[in-house]
Amino acid sequence: MSYKTPSRLILHDLHLAQARRSVLEHVSGEFKAGAITALIGANGAGKSTLIQAIMGELSPISGEVVCAIPPERRAWLPQQLALDLTFPMSVEELVMTGSWPSHGALKGYCAAHYRKGRDIMARLGISHLAHRPLGELSGGQRQRALIGRTLMQEAELLLLDEPFANVDSETVSVLVPILRQMADDGMTLIVVLHDMDHLQRLADEVLLLEGGRAYWMLPSELVSAHRPVNPLPFTSGGHYVGTA
Amino acid sequence: MWELLDSWLIAPFDYGFMRRAVVAGLALSLAAPTLGVFLVLRGMSLIGDAMAHAILPGVALGFLLAGFSLPVMSISGIIFGVFVALLAGAVSKMGGQREDAAMASFFIISLAAGVMLISLGGSSVDLTHVLFGSILAINSTALLLIASISTLIVIILAVIFRALVVECLDPLFLRGQGRRNQWIHSIFLGLLVLNLTAGFQTLGTLMAVGLMMLPATSARFWSKRLEGLIGIAIVLAMLASTGGLLLSFHFDLPSGPSIILLAGTGYLLSALFGRYHSLAARLRRKTTPIETQSLT
Repeated sequence: MSYKTPSRLILHDLHLAQARRSVLEHVSGEFKAGAITALIGANGAGKSTLIQAIMGELSPISGEVVCAIPPERRAWLPQQLALDLTFPMSVEELVMTGSWPSHGALKGYCAAHYRKGRDIMARLGISHLAHRPLGELSGGQRQRALIGRTLMQEAELLLLDEPFANVDSETVSVLVPILRQMADDGMTLIVVLHDMDHLQRLADEVLLLEGGRAYWMLPSELVSAHRPVNPLPFTSGGHYVGTA
Repeated sequence: MWELLDSWLIAPFDYGFMRRAVVAGLALSLAAPTLGVFLVLRGMSLIGDAMAHAILPGVALGFLLAGFSLPVMSISGIIFGVFVALLAGAVSKMGGQREDAAMASFFIISLAAGVMLISLGGSSVDLTHVLFGSILAINSTALLLIASISTLIVIILAVIFRALVVECLDPLFLRGQGRRNQWIHSIFLGLLVLNLTAGFQTLGTLMAVGLMMLPATSARFWSKRLEGLIGIAIVLAMLASTGGLLLSFHFDLPSGPSIILLAGTGYLLSALFGRYHSLAARLRRKTTPIETQSLT
């Protein structure tokens, strides 16, 4: 696959630790704009740690994250439990909060904002839920509303932590083409995935975290062996090494 | 009939002290329940209580320095409240202790220190005034201060409203964009201290929390929308403060506890008969056939 725009998110020899324990070492590489990168690894392999570092929540011990995307265009959707579901807010209001970072805290929404919000909800098939409180939604409906907020935000970097966990198959079939379209529009997408089927449908590249190291590969390489037989770590130059 | 209504509801306000008291109560009822709604939504319902303890030594120091002067007591209360909140935060960061544990420790020390200071410098009557308030003794200066503080709180809340909502719902959404939510949290705690200092003259440092929390917790039984929660909480607080004052006038009851007990009655009735999550709502849900239930 060829990517029209240069990478806007580059990792340079990252060394990350949590509570003074090294989690990842020598992580380098580029997340390509216009591509969906699947972030995979066993529990505790460092997926959340890497996401925290990319979002600037965790300072690396050494190395650096170079991100050319402005903070207000970055979005991070953690697993759904991070959201306060008892909060008295409707789907439409949640989607509209996406415009807040760029629009400012003080100004009200104008008709164009509401029109855009309604278009996004229609695209996600949740127009009929516009006035429903968040607490009354199913897992899939909630996930669609959160993706709607990201679309409203016009995010250029989207990190999704297991977006298809606990969601219905209809939501998966709605979200997959939308995420694909977001990537085709030039967005950088990083998706934590556990399901091989989802990975095959969605991912352009795979970043496998294992044994404290990161390995880049194509989905086909991962699928053919279920895991790399003898994975080679990413080397300088910004491209995966190829079949191990 | 009209005469009865007049003697019960209108005539008491012929007295100047009752007029000042009701205006102070209504002013507090605009700001306090709004803060309370956000405290409930942020899962910080008990923080208001803790902060009320924290301002007490400051209020007591102000009392020792300048007697029963509301401006001096308010300013020293604000300074001490912010100081204790910062100290609790610093200790929790230093020792790895959770912030609520550090706050609980500091706030109980503050309560004891405040009571000690007032007892050393005054009488038990002064102590009762500070702890439980004296809304009927409010003068024009105090009324102006209470109204000004309430107005300021409402204006600042309106300005930071959207940031506060987003931060409550999903703090990661703001943090993900490199925005510091700490300032929103700090402003919110500052407003809390401000409101408690405005409330202690009317309801006392301990009771002022009641007008903040009870209407807010009651409103949760009546609405699922944020605007609804705030609106209902304000109306309930206004009813409680006006009704409580009238009850205290007619039955010669202490005014602060009358107001808070009336708000408490509102809470119990809401828990029993409210539209959502109340006992009645649970019974309704059990008996309503599936096809007639509305999801919206």
